Amino acid sequence: MSLLSNTSVLLGKELRTEFRSRELLTTTIVFILMVVVLFSFTFDPTTAESRRFGGGLLWLAFLFAASLMLQPCFLREQNNDTLSSLRLAISDPFAIFLAKLVANTLFLMLTELLMLPVFAVLYNVPILPTFHWLLLVLFLGSLGISVAGTALSAISAQARMRELLLPLLLLPILTPVLVASAEVTVGLLDRDPVMQWKGIGFLAVFDLVFLTALWMFGEYLLEE
Amino acid sequence: MKNLNSVFAAYIIGWGVFFLFYVSIAKRTSDLRTEIERLKNSVTRK
Amino acid sequence: MGKRVLLGALAILLVIAAAYGSFYIAPEERTMGVVQRIFYFHVGSAWAGMDAFLVCFICNLLYIWKREQKYDWLGVAAAEVGLVLTTVVLITGPIWAKPAWGIYWTWDARLTSTFVLWLLYVSYLLLRTLVEEPDRRALLSSLFGVFAFIDVPLVFGAIRWWRTQHPAPVIMGGPGSGLDPTMNKVFFFSVFAMHVLTAFLLVERYGLEKMKSDVDVLQREAEAL
Repeated sequence: MSLLSNTSVLLGKELRTEFRSRELLTTTIVFILMVVVLFSFTFDPTTAESRRFGGGLLWLAFLFAASLMLQPCFLREQNNDTLSSLRLAISDPFAIFLAKLVANTLFLMLTELLMLPVFAVLYNVPILPTFHWLLLVLFLGSLGISVAGTALSAISAQARMRELLLPLLLLPILTPVLVASAEVTVGLLDRDPVMQWKGIGFLAVFDLVFLTALWMFGEYLLEE
Repeated sequence: MKNLNSVFAAYIIGWGVFFLFYVSIAKRTSDLRTEIERLKNSVTRK
Repeated sequence: MGKRVLLGALAILLVIAAAYGSFYIAPEERTMGVVQRIFYFHVGSAWAGMDAFLVCFICNLLYIWKREQKYDWLGVAAAEVGLVLTTVVLITGPIWAKPAWGIYWTWDARLTSTFVLWLLYVSYLLLRTLVEEPDRRALLSSLFGVFAFIDVPLVFGAIRWWRTQHPAPVIMGGPGSGLDPTMNKVFFFSVFAMHVLTAFLLVERYGLEKMKSDVDVLQREAEAL
């Protein structure tokens, strides 16, 4: 079977598993909401400051949420001992990773899109005029988080203290994503919105580099 | 030159860090060397 | 054994010579005065640190490919030595910044990126402490090491771009940018001296790691009897 068909079969499984219980999505959304509310206590969110800090705050919230949301990615397989059967059934390990990272990107974007209007209302920030560009940033940023997160989740699942280890590994690696996404988002939420294509470029390069790395080294991540 | 103190501080702290690192390696190495001797003796005795 | 002592002695001599050069041979810099002399030590350590991490990266790749323990030993040695060098960079940076700019820390592009670099390799070493089985530990840390190293240019690039959007004081305007020729010579000699020191520390740390493995083997032999 080709990479595409393998991936779509596995993707279907990932989506079905999650939408059956929806526990990952609901807990992630609530977590982001809490972070967004708590942030409001740490500085005075007058409109000018919200515009300046909003983008960064939002991505920080997404990053923290993702480092929790990505935990079960491979732990689920480990707990149910499904990884070896998965590897036997699907010859290409990259298909397993591709399915998981597409699913993770979708889940992340879903929670982000649900949170965006809430954030806009709470912090008085306009998202409609530049919504299509925001969508692009959300996609590229979430993809970056998912690619790195899925790969590192495979590593942390095989170590001790995995709940603490995943954020420890993930957050330094995702620095470029945070910097670029936050910067572009701040530009888009400004009074005179500006689209910073260099930031988009960085995100695209990050996504490409880590996708390639995952493709090259994926099979070793899944070694028994 | 008051700033000369900063320069000296930087060099001394920097060298200090390297020196401490080397000392920690040397100590662990010698500890392991005694451990190896001990183990070798217990193996040959058996 | 004799070669290691020789390397160590050479390293110490070169480092002292470099310091002498930094203080007595290099001319004084116009704007910052004597504080600028930290530059030779600070940047020398930074470049040596990056090369140590490069060695770590190559060892990580070689381990994934060949699965020979010696690559794992050299890899962790290089990561630790690189981390020590980077720590020195992060300590000497603020010592330079305070008299030069009045503040200990400045989120300037290079220092910020170096901090992230430091965090990446701290995570690398932490990961190693959390995996007990030696082969698995070697494989997992090699894989993370590869991801970490390919991330480094992205980190430096992204932070530098971000800094061009929000300019802030720069600790130094790039090595060799308008450096007086004597300064240049002292600088490159410093870089060379730091590299020899790095090589010496690498050899010693590698020896320790190899010895740890020998102890493990002997312990298993002793228990088997």
